[in-house]
Amino acid sequence: MRGFDISSIVNLNGTAHYVHWHFFLMSVPNLVVIVLMLIVFAVALFLRAPGAKRPGGKK
Amino acid sequence: MSSWTVRVREFGLRNLPPERLLPDSQPAYMASAIYLFGALTIGALVTIIASGTILALKGPAWWHVQSIGHFFNSIHLWSVELFFFFMVIHLWGKFWMAAWRGGRARVWMTGAVAFVIAIPTAFTGYVSQQNFDSQWIATQGKDGMNSLGVGSFFNVLNVGQMYSYHIFLFPVLVIGIVSLHILLVRRHGIVPPIPLADSVADAAAK
Amino acid sequence: MFRGGRLTNAELNEAARHYDGPYRPYDIVKEVSVATGVVMLIAVILTILFSSPDLPPSTIASWSRSMPTDFVTTALSELDGTSETATYGPPYNHESGSVQQLAFIHLQQWLGVSHPVNAEYDLIIAPLRTIPDAPALQAAVTTYVHAPAKTQAAWTNAYSNALGKATEKQGGAVTVPAGSYGPVGPMMSSLLALAESGGLDGDLLSSKQFYQTDYTKPLLFLEDGSALDDRATYQHLQGTQWGMMNETGSYPGQVWLWLYTFWYQVQIGGLSTSPNVDAIVMAIMGVLSAAFILVPFLPGIRSIPRRIPVYKLIWRDWYSATGAPSKPPRTGDDAPALPSLRPTET
Repeated sequence: MRGFDISSIVNLNGTAHYVHWHFFLMSVPNLVVIVLMLIVFAVALFLRAPGAKRPGGKK
Repeated sequence: MSSWTVRVREFGLRNLPPERLLPDSQPAYMASAIYLFGALTIGALVTIIASGTILALKGPAWWHVQSIGHFFNSIHLWSVELFFFFMVIHLWGKFWMAAWRGGRARVWMTGAVAFVIAIPTAFTGYVSQQNFDSQWIATQGKDGMNSLGVGSFFNVLNVGQMYSYHIFLFPVLVIGIVSLHILLVRRHGIVPPIPLADSVADAAAK
Repeated sequence: MFRGGRLTNAELNEAARHYDGPYRPYDIVKEVSVATGVVMLIAVILTILFSSPDLPPSTIASWSRSMPTDFVTTALSELDGTSETATYGPPYNHESGSVQQLAFIHLQQWLGVSHPVNAEYDLIIAPLRTIPDAPALQAAVTTYVHAPAKTQAAWTNAYSNALGKATEKQGGAVTVPAGSYGPVGPMMSSLLALAESGGLDGDLLSSKQFYQTDYTKPLLFLEDGSALDDRATYQHLQGTQWGMMNETGSYPGQVWLWLYTFWYQVQIGGLSTSPNVDAIVMAIMGVLSAAFILVPFLPGIRSIPRRIPVYKLIWRDWYSATGAPSKPPRTGDDAPALPSLRPTET
């Protein structure tokens, strides 16, 4: 059995850090994913899709 | 009585004529980048299936003993993360657009069912890993299954059963429901904007 | 019906059936192809950067070698019927230690014993019976099996107390103080030796047939001990650690399970400590999933997008291009005809 792979640039096999507030306990990697989703969602609301023009004909 | 074939064909053509199935134009109100997330979710699903197919070619133990196998396992895992990432942003966008309007309730429902089915699909994958993580997830998950009697026919401790659910039964279900979702989107078109006069702020301002 | 705005829900739905406004060119096949290519690229980049976790599984051999006293303690609890597996209930046996219900709904009991596991026989007696060329051991097993229940209990209780004062050698034997344990002593030390040699892993798997994918017996045995538990605590995978959504190491896990694991932390009403917690959480999530699917039909919920107008941001270009009307579109006989959806009517 090879165990975990070491051929990655960043080794994520160490212990994660956790955010603990009252009964809320979340790993930092999971929190990063959630925050990233919120940021990407917010940015997507403000950005235009490729090919869409601003009213007045300019992109 | 007319032929079944003709009836199926006419049903298909009536609901999805070619220019509606594969349009080359879109309503001008589709300007926001939020509209990209359905396609990104499909892209993630394609990546999951492609990487999963390669893993299936060599069997469940391959990725533990060969680096190239581990490489494709990693692609499979990250594309699952990306699938849920893009799918949830897509559903947030569709919720705030109230995209079920105008006869599009089934579009919302099939999308929601796709999300709900994706969860046990991922679960059967996690318990098929044949490592410590799968041992823990299986022994814990069994209590949830057993509590509702599901464990009597769905044994999460049976790797063979879980693997066949994961690489065949659940993917068939997911691909089926996602295909239905996409066809319904094409059938009904993308929902038009909410009329701007319809808002609490406008009502209060008057 | 939401009347904070101008239109009823029915009017809003009717207005959304038709669109006869401008279109612009769009390449749907290209968009999906580019999206797929982009996602594949992101997945490959994440793979090259981070790879994926693969902690080796625990085996009965590795467990018994590294934690021999814990192994023997667990084996004894399987023998005397006090382990979690021995007292579980359906689908493994007819006990009730882990049987859950929802009010009058006893699904776990109703669906019955479909994967029978007799902890004493399947996990202890049967494997011991496979050890060849050990007449003294086989005589000890026969003595135990034919003894009255009270005698068996006396032996196992005495041995259990003695284990509290045992010394162990990793990869070797467990030594207990002298006492009257009957045949239990030689049975436990033989089972430990079998486990450490790797024979018990194979025995539990292929007891009925050579080809087997059903790991029920070895996994139940492992779970009754501390090997999996200790590793899980270290990796933050326990229920009380929001473990359902965590991955081993520092990898992101199953973020979509946040609401499933949330309920296991709720102490209100004794939920998190209830013996029926699994059934209750599954039922709650079933109801919420159904509600999620049925959002278009739920008054109040379906009005939220109109109350909190995020849509004004999404369609801001459209509103400024078309000039937002100060009055809502009229309906009724004297209203202008609603535009139709191109290319064909819905």
